Amino acid sequence: MPGPLTRRTLLGTGAAAVGATALGLPPRPAQAQTPVGLQLSWLHSAQFAGSYIALDRGWWAARGLDVSLLPGGPNAPVEPPVVSGTALVGVSAADYTAAAVEQGAPFKILGVAMQKNPFVVASLPGTPVHEPADLVGKRIGMALANTPVLQALCQLNGVDIDRITMVPTQYSAQPLLAGEVDCLLCWETDLPVAMERQGIESLTMLMADHGYVLQSQTYIATEDSLANRRADLVALLAGEVRGWEAYHADPEAAADLTVRMYPDAGLDPETQRLQAARQVPLMFSDLTDAHGFGWWTDDAVAANIETLALLGRTVSPDLWDRSILEEVHGT
Amino acid sequence: MTPQGSRFGPWIGGLLLLAGWELADRLLSDAFVLAGPVAVARFLMDEGALMGRALAVTLGNAAVGFVIGNLAALALAGVAVVWPRSERVVTGLALLVFCLPLVATGPILRVLFGPGPGPQITLAALAVYYTTLIPLLVGLRAVPDTWVELVRSTGRGRLAVLVHVRAMAALPALCAGLQIAAPAAFLGAMVGEFTGAERGMGVLTIRAMRALDVPMTWSLATVATAVAVLAYLALGALARRVLRAPPPVILAAPSVRSKQGAAWRDVALVAALALGGWAAVIGLGGLNPFFAKGPGDVVTALVFAPDAPETRATLGAALAETAVFLLPGYAAGLAAGAGLAVLLVLLPGVAGTVLPLAIALRSVPIVTTAPLVVLLLGRGALGTIVLVAVMVFFPTLVACLHGLRQTPGQVLDVFDSFAAGPVTRLIRLRIPAMWPAFFAAARMAVPASVLAVTVVEWLATGSGMGRLMALSASLSDYDMLWSCVVVVSVLAALGYALVGAVERRVLAVYAPEQQT
Amino acid sequence: MGRDPDHPPAVVCTGLAKTFEDGTEAVRPVDLTVGAGQTIALVGPSGCGKSTLLRMVAGLEAPSAGRVAIAGRPPAETLRRAGLAVAFQDPSLLPWRTVRGNVRLALRLARRPMDDADIDHLLALVGLAGFEETRPAALSGGMRQRAAIARALSTRPGLLLLDEPFGAVDDLTRRQLARDLPRLWEARGTTTLLVTHSVSEAVRLSDRVIVLSPRPARVVAEIAIGLPRPRTEAIGESAQAAALTRQIFAALSDGMASPATAGPAS
Repeated sequence: MPGPLTRRTLLGTGAAAVGATALGLPPRPAQAQTPVGLQLSWLHSAQFAGSYIALDRGWWAARGLDVSLLPGGPNAPVEPPVVSGTALVGVSAADYTAAAVEQGAPFKILGVAMQKNPFVVASLPGTPVHEPADLVGKRIGMALANTPVLQALCQLNGVDIDRITMVPTQYSAQPLLAGEVDCLLCWETDLPVAMERQGIESLTMLMADHGYVLQSQTYIATEDSLANRRADLVALLAGEVRGWEAYHADPEAAADLTVRMYPDAGLDPETQRLQAARQVPLMFSDLTDAHGFGWWTDDAVAANIETLALLGRTVSPDLWDRSILEEVHGT
Repeated sequence: MTPQGSRFGPWIGGLLLLAGWELADRLLSDAFVLAGPVAVARFLMDEGALMGRALAVTLGNAAVGFVIGNLAALALAGVAVVWPRSERVVTGLALLVFCLPLVATGPILRVLFGPGPGPQITLAALAVYYTTLIPLLVGLRAVPDTWVELVRSTGRGRLAVLVHVRAMAALPALCAGLQIAAPAAFLGAMVGEFTGAERGMGVLTIRAMRALDVPMTWSLATVATAVAVLAYLALGALARRVLRAPPPVILAAPSVRSKQGAAWRDVALVAALALGGWAAVIGLGGLNPFFAKGPGDVVTALVFAPDAPETRATLGAALAETAVFLLPGYAAGLAAGAGLAVLLVLLPGVAGTVLPLAIALRSVPIVTTAPLVVLLLGRGALGTIVLVAVMVFFPTLVACLHGLRQTPGQVLDVFDSFAAGPVTRLIRLRIPAMWPAFFAAARMAVPASVLAVTVVEWLATGSGMGRLMALSASLSDYDMLWSCVVVVSVLAALGYALVGAVERRVLAVYAPEQQT
Repeated sequence: MGRDPDHPPAVVCTGLAKTFEDGTEAVRPVDLTVGAGQTIALVGPSGCGKSTLLRMVAGLEAPSAGRVAIAGRPPAETLRRAGLAVAFQDPSLLPWRTVRGNVRLALRLARRPMDDADIDHLLALVGLAGFEETRPAALSGGMRQRAAIARALSTRPGLLLLDEPFGAVDDLTRRQLARDLPRLWEARGTTTLLVTHSVSEAVRLSDRVIVLSPRPARVVAEIAIGLPRPRTEAIGESAQAAALTRQIFAALSDGMASPATAGPAS
């Protein structure tokens, strides 16, 4: 094996790769590189730090892939680039994937980065929300697009949603701090971290702890890719798994790498460290310790299908395809 | 545009603005809403390198888009002038494309271009080409007949008229268009970054908003404003060097008058070309039918599908919600623009102070101000209405000032000889002379206000069409998304045509020479 | 100056008439002949349709009926060869070009070579020496008109169409132009059609005066001006000229008196 190669040293050798893999030859690093896109679901940040580790340490390059990490954004849905082939794999979430499949997209979920859904209700200690029942009589700031999420939570916990006041807010913790709302529907790793960085203590109620079982940061690919580009998919996910396991070992180093790799993203190192630490319990569990990163059980699929039904989505278990991951962890 | 009044006017205005800004910061220190000039300066000192790199990226994309968009405008204007019968079709198609809501076009462009600056540049170009095309066409057309006949009498045709007479005569109008285009290009490039970019001012804006990094948010707004104002002033200075003669006729855009039958035929032609082009892009682009919906898909979704009534109801509700913000904001912006223009003509000393402030207000990219204004004025109707009004206000002010100052000197002398006071002159002479420019601005403001309201709804308030489009994209409901695109574009184009119809009636009285 | 590229053509109008789209009848069928190298003046009251007639001859306005033949060909052909030049009522100088620049543009458009010395010579002839580099905005109305005349002459057209060319020119200059310009086009043998509302100018400059009625224009009288050439000031002030002037005024008055519904004079 050649030593750890950086992506840079391998640039320019990618052209020959396509031919080699097409002939079914084993990919040889250092010579043959298949260009592959991985569509992220948001701007670069520690949210995807495991991928950065894989890229930085050349783990994809060693498997013959020249991976481009394509950033997302507020106006960058993940599904179109995956459908159109710009990206081989996209980082989606079970509910968005289900919606896309309902609209005719031929997606399969190949792996699950966030076993626990990152949605929380964040509140300030003065008017705390510890459990769903505490929401009654409160004003909750949320994107109205997430109304089904709140509905599902209420239904799961027997809370009357009509007794909660929904206030449309977007992208900011400011309304909570200004007292316009009592709590926010947001991500564990996002607005609460921002508040913590500003020296504001907040509490979060993880919805996954109250019956809202829905996988997030799921890896999706098209059925066509599954049929015709299995080797690339295995190589890509193998790199992901290795990267995220390295992340698990040292989230702080992963956060620092994120800041180093994307100096133009305006990332605050401390925020990235906080975010990296907070997402560990969402991604890693006894299950992943036993079976490896990205794994899921049939029980999890059943629970997800139930939650999706509450969100108005009908899906069947064959939306999930574990074959790639089995190959990754088998080797 | 040369503001009358004292040379110190802009400085006084600037200082007042800074002082008020800092004061507001002190008063609202705990609200996480505002960062004053001191905080902004501190941030820029600490993070100057980061900001510089982001600015370079966004500015570069904006500049490329600016050039491409304006070249496209020049080419389209050339076609329309050399072949006058095509004018209404060209402008109709151009309007329709300009009215495409960028909330929806962004993701589609990203798929078309893949990674890289493609969508940023395209959105910047799309943001500018129409605001250049329309004044340019006016300038090209507003040439005395005898100049045209002069060229024809030498045995030369339309092309020679275009090259030797119209092109030169249109320069003032072109300069006016370019000035308005500069901030628009910057905004387009920033919004393009929302479709997935590694770096740039747009990327930092999202980051800052989410991270509750108020100094960064305001620093971004400050830098973006400064850049937009500088571009505006630089183009103004360039215009003054290039232009030897003042514009021969007022900046106004009357539509070509013709028979009713021809107008309907052109509308039908525009619709046919738009539908054909749409189908062709989807067919030839090899776009996946999952997200690339054709005209047939939209018709099915809106009319024939089992859930069509539901789709229409959703769309209708969102439209109604948007209209509640859009119409008052549009009217308020027009009134404020025309009103301030009148005030500035009566009090020329103030113009030097107010005008730079007005330019600054308009040039702030709406994606940075949308959340700020909503934070300051609330999530209700007021914040959105104010933002729409700001978007409409500035072009109206500039156009109306231009119109007011265009009053023929000789007629003014006649009034002077009757010892008419400034108010009489204003009411009897200048305001009537202003109408053509006012209506031109009102027409141009229709797409601008639609852009503003959908962006605010998308980024800040989460309501109406802006929300529906963003939501449809994230839930892969592309039938709904494309239906939204069609409805928004067509309604914006219709609004534009409606203002144009009113304009024609007014112009027939106040500026008959503008109608060819 | 060398020979003109075009031989002076004869102009023949037969049954030439114009009714605008809005129904306004501007010109009743008119028959008109301008011999090669002749100067014809069209005289008539303001707004009678003189200019429309001239523009139809120039090929800038399509007639509703009848036809124009310049050297036996339609005007469009003469236009294409830059075989004619028009000096409009409005000087129509391009504001962003200097006086010389305006003339130079006309030459370039007409694809006629001419150097600046020739242009300056023409400008001196119309009394604009020293104003070659001036922009139109800085000129008086009369100076602008003279610049426009110089521009029309610069392309050495076989047919020169002048629409009230001296309208804004002061009396002294007018007198001087009336003396100098005919010399130029006599030397070149240019066919000239002049529209004017000044009867004395018509007598002074032309070989024949055509008197038009108020709108719609029809020919009331054709009066040959048998004055000798070159037309000196003395000739212009002679008793013979005075008699012709009276005769034209009488024809104009007749034209005013006769109802507009009357048929064409011919």
